[in-house]
Amino acid sequence: MNEQEGKHPSTDLTAGHTVRRYDQELARLRTLILQMGEHVSEQGRAAVAALLNEDDCQAYRVLDREPQIDYLSLDADEEIFRLIVRRQPTAVDLRIVLALSKIAAEYERAGDKAARIAHQVLEWIEETDVLVEPVRASLQALGERALGMFERSLRAVAAFDVSQSLGIFEDEPDLDQEARELRELLNGSAQEGLSPRYAITLFYCAQALKHIGRHASNIAELVIYVAIGQDVRYRNREILIETLRHRGY
Amino acid sequence: MNTMVETMNRVTDALSAVELAQERAFCQTVGDFTVPNPRMTCRDVEVWYGPKQAIRRVNLDIGRNEVLSMIGPSGCGKSTFLRCLNRMNDTIPGCRVTGSIKLDGQDIYDKKLDPVLLRARVGMVFQKPNPFPKSIYENVAYGPRIHGLTNSKAELDELVETSLRKAGLWDEVKDRLDQPGTGLSGGQQQRLCIARTIAVAPDVILMDEPCSALDPIATAIIEELIDELRANYSIVIVTHSMQQAARVSQRTAYFHLGDLIEVGETNQIFTNPQHKLTEDYITGRFG
Repeated sequence: MNEQEGKHPSTDLTAGHTVRRYDQELARLRTLILQMGEHVSEQGRAAVAALLNEDDCQAYRVLDREPQIDYLSLDADEEIFRLIVRRQPTAVDLRIVLALSKIAAEYERAGDKAARIAHQVLEWIEETDVLVEPVRASLQALGERALGMFERSLRAVAAFDVSQSLGIFEDEPDLDQEARELRELLNGSAQEGLSPRYAITLFYCAQALKHIGRHASNIAELVIYVAIGQDVRYRNREILIETLRHRGY
Repeated sequence: MNTMVETMNRVTDALSAVELAQERAFCQTVGDFTVPNPRMTCRDVEVWYGPKQAIRRVNLDIGRNEVLSMIGPSGCGKSTFLRCLNRMNDTIPGCRVTGSIKLDGQDIYDKKLDPVLLRARVGMVFQKPNPFPKSIYENVAYGPRIHGLTNSKAELDELVETSLRKAGLWDEVKDRLDQPGTGLSGGQQQRLCIARTIAVAPDVILMDEPCSALDPIATAIIEELIDELRANYSIVIVTHSMQQAARVSQRTAYFHLGDLIEVGETNQIFTNPQHKLTEDYITGRFG
């Protein structure tokens, strides 16, 4: 009894209540949020495909599907209100509910970024410019990195997995580096005769992708908050990663 | 062969018992149980009911002008510990209290100390309101009168009014002070008991589930009152309502099977408890 058992990353944090329905309500909320995240992930993939393939049909599909994420966000809010009223969560349950509420907001914003890319695709697709190869490859790499981080955030949320969250943090320097390289490439291309409108469009898309990666990082912070009860926002990433890896995550 | 198996089983049982005993013996409270300039200090407090140990080596400070809530499942020892603080356990045959409990540095279990005087300094409000079968006025005046706290009728009247005002009851009863206290509503009776307690100028007020017999509105009024009383008294409250503990107290102590498992700032206990038993209890994960 004297041993402080601390937090249990391997067990399901939503389970174990004497009132089983409480478990079900928390699990249902998490499933709803994950469903939302999967939609956003698909939207992100579709938006990047539309961008790289200059595919206006794909871009329209992204815009058509965007309201689904908003509806899921409304459903999640309703579940959260109901859960707070019925259960008045405390401790880890309170952290779960608060974090899932914020994660839903992160997903919703990440979904907006996918829609923004689709909008940009539709704006410049009528122009005569074409996507030149070095820029295309750079965009693809940035897209892979950002969406990879985002998909990892889904796995982190599914099990409130600190290790997955740390993996997202470890990807951040690469995300920044790839975004920087793309910006330099676009600057160079603009000097070599690329139309400013085209360069700005691609710059917006690159920014949107980088933000999707940043949303994944914010979600990773919230997952750690749930799992170990510490708010790790604004903490030095390198020290944080080293400390938590050292603790066995 | 059977004898050997039986012997092995007995050895295993004995080892398990030793391990259990060691585990219990070394139970350490998580969190800082001390406060600067405490009103009461409790060290290595143990309580026995005959051969049965109810409290094990509890260390806890009670601060000035703070509300400390004690939570835990039924039978965990929180009410037993509360009753130690004004020697209410003295009245229970076979109950033995060891360790040290001091009020402003003075040992409250000192044989020279009169328990009646102690209970004036460390007052108590019980689960069910228990006004005397006397008038509202007499309920409040009784304590100051027997302790000789006033010199005249005018002084006593003033003290009764002040106590009833502090208990938030004056406006409701000022026109019927001669009517029986038992004729008041449950919430009013409980506030009358609080007025009776504060009439003898205590330093500490102990409350044993003071709202469990009250409706939500009466509960809210008592909680508001507890917050106001904090300005002048130290308050220790035992409650089964986690939300109440979270609302009214600045520090929370969690008891389990006679051990003080964790103590800390109420905000921390209810958002990020450090001990798994605390977390399991406050999140409703106890089977």
